[in-house]
Amino acid sequence: MAGGHISLVELKKRFGAVTAVDGISVEIEPGEFFSLLGPSGCGKTTTLRMVAGFEEPTSGAIFLDGSDVGRLPPNKRNVNTVFQNYALFPFLNVADNVRFGLRYQRLTKSEVNRKVGEALDLVQLGSYQRRRPGQLSGGQQQRVALARALVLNPAVLLLDEPLGALDAKLRRALQVELKALQERVGITFLYVTHDQEEALTMSDRLAVMSNGCIAQLGSPRQVYEEPTDAFVADFLGISNLMEAVALGPGGGDGLGGASCRLKLGDFELRATCGALDALGDVKLAIRPERVQLRPYGDTGLNRVPGMVERVVFLGSASQVLARLAPGATLHCLLHNDGEPVTWRQGDPVSVELPPDALRVLPNGSATVKEIREETLGDEPPDLAGSAPQPSGRLT
Amino acid sequence: MAVAGDHALSTPVSVPAARTARRSLLPRPRPWRHAWFLETFTWLYLIWSIVPIGIAILFSFNNGKSQAAWQGFSWQWYFTDPLNSVLHSPELHQAVIQTLRLAGFTTLITVPLGVGFAIGIDRWRGRTSSSLNFVMIFSFVVPELLLAVALMFVFTQLITAIPLGTNAEVAALVVWNLSWPAIIVRARLVTIGHAYEEAATDLGASRLQAVRRVLMPMLMPAIFASAVLVFAGVIDDFVIVEQMSSNAGTQPMSVLIYSNVHGGLAGPALNALATLMLVFSLIVAALGYVAYRFMTRGERGNRGEALTSIAGI
Amino acid sequence: MTTAVDNRSGDPGAHGRGRWPVLRRSAGRDGRSAAPPERWGLRALWVTLAAPGAVWLIILFVVPFYVMLAVAAGSVNLLLQSPVPVWNPLHWSGSSFAAVWHDIVGPQAFLGPPIVRTFVYTAIAAVLSLAIAYPVAYFVTRYAGRRKTLFLVLLIAPFWVSYMMRMLAWIDLLQQNGYVNRVLSLLHLVGHQVNWLGGEAPTVVLGLVYGYIPYLIIVLFAGLDRIDPSLLEAARDLGLGRWRAFWRVTLPLSKSTIVAGMFITVLPMLGDYFTNQLLSGTPGTTMIGNTIEGLLQSPGQQGQGAALALLLLVVLLVPMVYYASATARASRENI
Repeated sequence: MAGGHISLVELKKRFGAVTAVDGISVEIEPGEFFSLLGPSGCGKTTTLRMVAGFEEPTSGAIFLDGSDVGRLPPNKRNVNTVFQNYALFPFLNVADNVRFGLRYQRLTKSEVNRKVGEALDLVQLGSYQRRRPGQLSGGQQQRVALARALVLNPAVLLLDEPLGALDAKLRRALQVELKALQERVGITFLYVTHDQEEALTMSDRLAVMSNGCIAQLGSPRQVYEEPTDAFVADFLGISNLMEAVALGPGGGDGLGGASCRLKLGDFELRATCGALDALGDVKLAIRPERVQLRPYGDTGLNRVPGMVERVVFLGSASQVLARLAPGATLHCLLHNDGEPVTWRQGDPVSVELPPDALRVLPNGSATVKEIREETLGDEPPDLAGSAPQPSGRLT
Repeated sequence: MAVAGDHALSTPVSVPAARTARRSLLPRPRPWRHAWFLETFTWLYLIWSIVPIGIAILFSFNNGKSQAAWQGFSWQWYFTDPLNSVLHSPELHQAVIQTLRLAGFTTLITVPLGVGFAIGIDRWRGRTSSSLNFVMIFSFVVPELLLAVALMFVFTQLITAIPLGTNAEVAALVVWNLSWPAIIVRARLVTIGHAYEEAATDLGASRLQAVRRVLMPMLMPAIFASAVLVFAGVIDDFVIVEQMSSNAGTQPMSVLIYSNVHGGLAGPALNALATLMLVFSLIVAALGYVAYRFMTRGERGNRGEALTSIAGI
Repeated sequence: MTTAVDNRSGDPGAHGRGRWPVLRRSAGRDGRSAAPPERWGLRALWVTLAAPGAVWLIILFVVPFYVMLAVAAGSVNLLLQSPVPVWNPLHWSGSSFAAVWHDIVGPQAFLGPPIVRTFVYTAIAAVLSLAIAYPVAYFVTRYAGRRKTLFLVLLIAPFWVSYMMRMLAWIDLLQQNGYVNRVLSLLHLVGHQVNWLGGEAPTVVLGLVYGYIPYLIIVLFAGLDRIDPSLLEAARDLGLGRWRAFWRVTLPLSKSTIVAGMFITVLPMLGDYFTNQLLSGTPGTTMIGNTIEGLLQSPGQQGQGAALALLLLVVLLVPMVYYASATARASRENI
């Protein structure tokens, strides 16, 4: 069986005046759990649908294991999809749902039954064969949808926000299960979500999308720790963005390696991550868990005085909102290590921003493109809506 | 669906206050109190609406010729009277057969035509398609008399190969009822959306196979509901059939009743005919309801859905 | 960031299996494909499915109106007293139209009263129907609670009772010695036995109401049922009393439903002729429909009957077109 290597080349999709996908190029490795992450409207679902075959690219190419599948109808591609609302056929029971696609593979009846049983065992629904989708819970329906897709041995499995309709606890449990399933089955998963926690938890690599383009592509660790622009930094967790002025490269301050001199309000700071050769207006980002709170009056490198605005108890951690003297408000995350948090609202504090955690980001995202205003053309994809009423009869 | 004013909500917080207030001059209005006026009004309407029909059915069993004075119970108008009962009178007999014949043929033709129309128009984007859709909706709102007259002219002046009679009646009834399946199935199509067929093609089906294996089963309840409506509609139809009928042999029950109301056949015989029409409609409705529930078994949905679908809502 | 890809030497084997022509790999190019198949749809499939119904509709719906026009604008075969349709628009004559117009507004006009009567009856019947139907529908959607299904069945029941039977029911009751007269004299409301079926306008109007109200109720029910109850709860929460909440929230939300209901009640009523025929049968209460019927059955005047029918059609054309386009638009926008 082919490995499940996907290659997207300058993929574009336009719906009339709106450019949903604006030139995406990505290589997805066989067996990889790859996520497309982004806010609503960034083009991730459209990209997925183009790979599945439900939308035709305006331009660009899609390669699956070396063959150009961009113009093939969905039933001829060796990819299968798990839909957001599962799309289980309500008039068939679970087993028949899973069996559906096997009709197009030449197998004997016993082989089909065996495969159906295996697929359902894989998702731990082996005893549910006779149930109807309407009798299943959300999580169970999702698993049936998975089984239905996986039973066909696709090279790639496409998942369109499959956990969106579930509650938080179930979602977290299924995230782990999905990842385990992917590792067991070994095929490529292309996963679309707007939930950054999901993407970070499950992916081998992910692409953060915005306005039809890829803002950054990398491993979860890379994207989280080393965001390349303010959008990515802000989308994944809290980034504590601050406006600052870059004064040029620093040096000789014992930091070992390149650093950048910055001015935050009246305070001078050093940073060793990000766009260190930037000059002028820049943005600074630091993750809440790296912000250190020191007693007021504490001196040293990268200390900024401030005041505690609020302390929020989150359970496993406490969040302290501190307003810095230059005006910015930072979130600081203090993990619960058994000691009670001593900060109170109104306390003065000295906030330390360690230079190896402080990231310089260029001002303005480099990948934001404007959407061109063109004359209206065809309609955007229609969504299933509510039914109109047929009124009463005229005699 | 939660209904405001549910009894559960109507427990007022300040029960003691309300009780004491009622002893005073002005009772304090409770916000979600039961709507007695509206309920009474509704029941009055229902009585006004249904009781006369009950009386008409009653009089079909009248032991005598009066339609106003009850003279005892009898089956004479149905089958015991050797001359005038529905079973024995050739005129009445013929009308019953004709009604069933018209209803059957019309339904058999209208439903496939209408379903195909609905699916095709829904998927086929274009000016022709929207114009046809417009024409179809237009056929739903035009007063029946105007269409009946126009069709009468067509069959007498233009398509003279089809004379007035059963064939013309069926053809006209098909056109008149085409909008039932077209609209109902179309509405259901919109609710279903594209997801299921996409899933089917994703799993390996071609477009046509997706329609056959997935869309049609999902449309079955709506198709059934529209078939029920067409059948019952034809049983009830009067205007078009009257214009299209040629002689007594092609008169269904509705036309027979109409032409004999002011004299002619004995009154209760007409009641018997009308009761039979009702019975046929109810049988078909009941069958449709049962079929609908059977087809949607195991699916999420409320009980009212079958009823409203069959009513065409 | 993103990685560009170089031209692959992929195998074109995939082309053979699909029905779609595979274009040149457009890496780096920004061109539109030749003829974009619309979303993998097989257009031919949809056209074929729609065709039989469409053809039937055209032949037996669109064409008949042209035929009616040809008859109305045609002449009369004096020997047989039958109409002669004229197909060519250039040869159309307006004599039938003139005759009808004359009958409406001329010195010996006799068509005036039925026309006026029709609109008056319909207006009264429509208002009455709404006054009855709205509270009932409102009650059942808002306050029926667990009995909603029961009420729905009871409301839909008349729908399945044929129009004939419903009229028959009242014919029975309104007979000289029928129950209505008996009850009224029992309550000493009338001194003698009223002949309700002998040409009384109230009988016809109430007959219209009785006949068409089930449709109105069903439409209103469907529309009111769709109103989100939390909107009403929010209004009450914000301080509006019952009546105010109804006036300012429910009524505006149900406006389009009321309009739709009125359409499907008024339009057929205007073409009604059988209610009058069944419940009255005298010239004093005839409506336009009766007049058309009468003209059609008089030898030599079928052209005028067609002309009058067309006149009615023209009058109703604007509201019908409005309703049809509104519905078509709504179904497209999934309202």
